[in-house]
Amino acid sequence: MSIHTLEVLVENEPGVLARVSGLFARRAYNIDTLVVGPTSNPEVSKMVIQVNLEGHSLEQVIAQLDKLISVISIEELVEGVKKPVKDTQPDYQN
Amino acid sequence: MATQHVPTANGTAMNGATSLVKSLEAAGVDVMFGLPGGAILPAYDPIFDSTIRHILVRHEQGAGHAATGYAQVTGRAGVCIATSGPGATNLVTPLMDAQMDSVPVVAITGQVPSAAIGTDAFQEADIRGITMPFTKHNFLVTKAEDIPRAIAEAFHIATSGRPGPVLVDIAKDALQAQTTYNWPAKIELAGYNPRITPDNQSIADAAALIAQSKKPVFYVGGGVIKANAHKELAQLVELLGAPVVTTLMARGAFPDSHPLHLGMPGMHGTVAAVTALQKADLLITLGARFDDRVTGKLSTFAVNAKVIHADIDPAEIHKNKFADVPVVGDLRETISALIPALKAALAKSQPNLTPWNASMQKLKSTYPLGYTLPEDGSLSPQAVIERIGKISGAETIFTSGVGQHQMWASQFISYEHPRTWLNSGGAGTMGYGVPAAMGAKVAAPDTTVWAIDGDGCFQMTNQELVTCALNNIPIKVAIINNESLGMVRQWQTLFYDGRYSNTSLESKRVPNFPMLAEAMGCVGLSCERPEDLDATIEKAMSINDQPVVVDFRVHRDAMVWPMVAAGTSNDEIMIARATAPDWDSQEL
Repeated sequence: MSIHTLEVLVENEPGVLARVSGLFARRAYNIDTLVVGPTSNPEVSKMVIQVNLEGHSLEQVIAQLDKLISVISIEELVEGVKKPVKDTQPDYQN
Repeated sequence: MATQHVPTANGTAMNGATSLVKSLEAAGVDVMFGLPGGAILPAYDPIFDSTIRHILVRHEQGAGHAATGYAQVTGRAGVCIATSGPGATNLVTPLMDAQMDSVPVVAITGQVPSAAIGTDAFQEADIRGITMPFTKHNFLVTKAEDIPRAIAEAFHIATSGRPGPVLVDIAKDALQAQTTYNWPAKIELAGYNPRITPDNQSIADAAALIAQSKKPVFYVGGGVIKANAHKELAQLVELLGAPVVTTLMARGAFPDSHPLHLGMPGMHGTVAAVTALQKADLLITLGARFDDRVTGKLSTFAVNAKVIHADIDPAEIHKNKFADVPVVGDLRETISALIPALKAALAKSQPNLTPWNASMQKLKSTYPLGYTLPEDGSLSPQAVIERIGKISGAETIFTSGVGQHQMWASQFISYEHPRTWLNSGGAGTMGYGVPAAMGAKVAAPDTTVWAIDGDGCFQMTNQELVTCALNNIPIKVAIINNESLGMVRQWQTLFYDGRYSNTSLESKRVPNFPMLAEAMGCVGLSCERPEDLDATIEKAMSINDQPVVVDFRVHRDAMVWPMVAAGTSNDEIMIARATAPDWDSQEL
């Protein structure tokens, strides 16, 4: 299955959508859908990104995403169930 | 979270510009390279009174590369500052360059007043948007009170974890507004917490794999230098006694004079280094990233090798090459942990590396780096570079531009110490050499700094020699003048049937480099005959109160060998045109 859904918590700051979408564009990762919304914390926004991997590894997509300083955490959604990305803490913290 | 020293100025009323300069002082900045303009002008007023040395460059690109050179020598963040619009966009190339080579640089740019952002105002450019893809992070600051925190975070991000460039764009009205200075006592970034200490299991796995291997090779990258891990690396190499290769970014991380050092791998690497990676059963990868210039055609790279990949950046793991044992963490900590783990593993089973080492040593002695002197008796570019290296000695810092001279400077100068070889590896930025040498000389004023430059590269950024002449920065520049874009010409020779489209620069006619140097307040020298070579280098070495430029007028047709042509397998390495190593006589 090459389509995965990621729930990404990001700093709620100007330009953060450009950081994420720009990363996907320049690394040729395919976004099927992307939804951005608020969370209970006004400093944090939530993005739900459906990515079509098409040859890229999910691990690499997540690692590159997590390199963005504005990205706070990443979880994979599997059939509506939140599944922490394997080994997210602390390997994927850079 | 990082805690910081809180300066006494905290709580004092001042304008945003003064708080910027106070913040830079609090961050430990002692020098910055820049050029003022309208939007950044408020900051230049307090700079006038600051203890920070500001070096006025002639082009912002020079400021960016100088900051990079400074950072590569010191390991601290290099700082450059420019105004909005074209000032900021002139920093784009150096920032991309710093990102590709993981160099800590902090760039400060002025931005049009916040109310004017988005109106296509005079000298407005979305530099935050432009630099997003190739900065580690960037900021747009529109409020005076946010300046100290942005600066503190910028330095923290640039210098921690995998180093990189950070840009802070500050709106003019934020610089002008009154504020209360507040340097943060601690930095907390929810989305940034680089892993420093590797986990014990991965260290144990790595040690076990090494102890089982019969053909291991240390594949050493620039990360070893960034992490100041060269001493630990030397201990690890001595412990195992396996061969070492150092990439273009790692030259100096391990002494070239060491018998186990096989040289540089990659497109212009030594036969021994390239073959060691190809034939190894284990790559002990330390702070390297499997760049295409090292691996050649990836599907044929080191096909029989297991891979240990130690890097501080988790995104490098499995990016280009699958790692059997990933080790994420600071390399100094990683290698320090690996040494006792490997000792214990070797105590249980000591592999016999003698046949492997013997075959690598045989390759090293059979195929040393070399060159033939031009038959017409003209000056050999490789000989020029080799003699500069010999005469100026192992303490010298070398920078280079990009192209043939860069490869020869990597091949024919012997590097014994880290931070003595500065070049644009990932980005391949022509024109890096002179401004990077300027930054290096500012960082190490008592050390000889040579820029080994090409006649093409030199013509891109030589204006910074004026900066050097006026600011007592006596660098030395060797122009390896083959009147060509030499590497491009080499490819035209090899792959385009000798059709030299637009690679002839005619720079033995124009410009007159010694006169150009003199016009910029430097000493200009020239050398055309092999018999004058040593005397000319010694003359350049004797001048220490002015920058020196030497026009070495060299043979045009020299080529860089060995070579693995782009997109081909490392197995197809050529030691000269249409000449492969004699593999049949080698037992590997």
